[in-house]
This record gives sequence, C-alpha cells and structure tokens, in this order.
Amino acid sequence: MRLVIDESRCKGCNLCVLVCPYGIFREGREQNQRGVIVPELDRPERCTNCRLQHLYGRLLCGMCQMICPDQAIAWEEERPYEPHRVEVEF
Amino acid sequence: MSAADWQRIDRLPNIYCAGCGNGSVINCTLAAVEEMGWTRENTVFISGIGCSSRAPGYILTDSLHTTHGRALAFATGVKLANPALNVVVFTGDGDLAAIGGNHFIHACRRNVDMTAICMNNQIYGMTGGQGSPTTPRGAISTTTPYGSAEPVFDLAELAVAAGANHVARWTSYHVKELMAAIATGLQTPGFSLVEVMTQCPTNYGRRNRLRQVSDMIEHLRTHALLVQKRDRLIREGKPIPEGMFVVGELVRRHRPAMGVRA
Repeated sequence: MRLVIDESRCKGCNLCVLVCPYGIFREGREQNQRGVIVPELDRPERCTNCRLQHLYGRLLCGMCQMICPDQAIAWEEERPYEPHRVEVEF
Repeated sequence: MSAADWQRIDRLPNIYCAGCGNGSVINCTLAAVEEMGWTRENTVFISGIGCSSRAPGYILTDSLHTTHGRALAFATGVKLANPALNVVVFTGDGDLAAIGGNHFIHACRRNVDMTAICMNNQIYGMTGGQGSPTTPRGAISTTTPYGSAEPVFDLAELAVAAGANHVARWTSYHVKELMAAIATGLQTPGFSLVEVMTQCPTNYGRRNRLRQVSDMIEHLRTHALLVQKRDRLIREGKPIPEGMFVVGELVRRHRPAMGVRA
C-alpha cells in the first residue's frame, strides 16, 4: 500500500503533522496550483499501514486519515508491485 | 462498505475553513456508523443551521437540513413516524444551546432514541464570530469585544440533568476516543449527546491569540480534564483547575426511552 495526499482536497491545515506518531508528515514549503501548501511525506514507507495493512487485514493506526478534516489522506494499492527499502527505527 | 463509501466524493473539497474540526467529526461519525453496520436506506442525518449543520450534505444518505435550532424537533418527528430509522443529529453550539435550547432539554426529557452530535466551537462561526452561550468567560468575539462577561453553558451537564441516557464529551483531537463514544451513543437506546469541542481557528482562534491550528489543538488538549481525574480530585478534596472542561463518558443509564422498537 502507498500513502497518498489528495492535493485537490487538502487545505494545508497540517493536522496530520501533529498526530502522526512516526513523523511521516512534514510541513510543506511550496504552494501547489490551488495556492495550498500541502504537507510533504518523509519516507512514507515507514507508515505501519503501508506495510502491514494486508497482513492484518484491517486498518491499523489511521490517525491521520481520521483527523484529516478534508478527507484527503488515503492508502492506495501499488500496481505493479514496486520493491523498496524499508527503514525500521528503534 | 467502508467509511469512505458514505462520503459524497462529488461535493469534496468541503466548505469548511482550513483546520476546522468539523471534518474530523464527520470522519469519526461515519466510522462509528460503519461499525454499527447500518445501511444507507435506514439511516437519516438531520441538522439545523450553522457550520456544523452542513455535515449531512457531505454524507450519502437521506438527510434533513432544517430551521435554526429545530433539528431535534424534526428528528423527534422522523423517529416517531418511523421507529425503524436510525437517526443521527448534527448540531452546533449556537444551534443546540441558544436557539434550540428548549428543544434540547425536552428531547433529553422525552429520551427519544437518537444520537445528537454537538460540534461545540464556542462561537457562531458561520455568521462572523458572534459570542454564543458557550463562549468562555473573557474570550473575545465580535459581540463581546471586551471579553465575554457571562458564565458558560455546560451542555453535557445540562443533558445529564435533563435525563439523557448517554452523555459524553471529547475534543476533535481525541479522534479514537470520540469514535468509540459515538459508537456507544449509537448503540444506546434513548437520547445520546456527544459533545465535541472543535477548533475554530478562523473566527474563535483569530481573536483569541490562537490563530494557528496547532495552537488551537494544543489549547483543547491541555484544557481537557478526564472525568476520572476530576472525580479523583473531588475525592481528594483538591481544587479543580480553572478553565478546564471535563472529557469522557459522563453518564450511561437505562431510563425508559421513546421511539425504541419493541
């Protein structure tokens, strides 16, 4: 799974930056076409939902999606499968 | 079905300001409704007037957008006309406490089987930031430019006193707890009030030195006092800190309810 922010819905309130326990969301720097500063993703492969959603068969943490007032955060399937390095921090 | 299937994708992005907590409350409500296994055919969302009351417009079910303060009166009618329907009411603090105050206490007294979700942003946000009955003492709004001088309405305590079967209060920061509280409210037969303290950075925060969404959230988080801690402080005879509001499940009881399927 892949974490995505829908730029057509995000209003740049940065609530996801406050709640993500992994610190994946970072305050953005550049405005997009709509004049909104959308948060940046810092190594989103660390997100527990991206890695383990299929294994557990349910949504795990999901704080960012739940608090996002604009319903802009979602996880989407990766097709075709893209291998990538996973960093686990202790 | 998942919670996202209840959203009206064609209406997004929603009308709320950046950082408004109402969207989070919609997410929590839809997740709780989804957990209950209700279908679109037997669920009705009813709202009055205000920022919070635009919520049913973003949900893919039958809904009623009613006159100011009268959402609970319409909801009582819907529930009693067809008790098979599951009724959820979205209201704001101005809608529920000020204009609809009488409907509110009588819905609690009658104990009609419905769930009212009050998004309390402590101000009339949509009309330009007038002071509401829940504006804290000393807070600045367009109608209280020298700070509000009136004591506030504690809606959750009012609902407990008026006889609601389930009363809880959370903030829009505590999303998981809020979802669990709404789910409990949906399961409880009888009237259930879930008061949600939400942030309003545009009209409340801007005038009260909480302009940033993060400041407003931090203010909500630090001023929330868990009900168990409040009870412990009372038991130990210690003073309850000034300016805090109680969060948690305030009451859950089994008074006879109206409009429950036999």
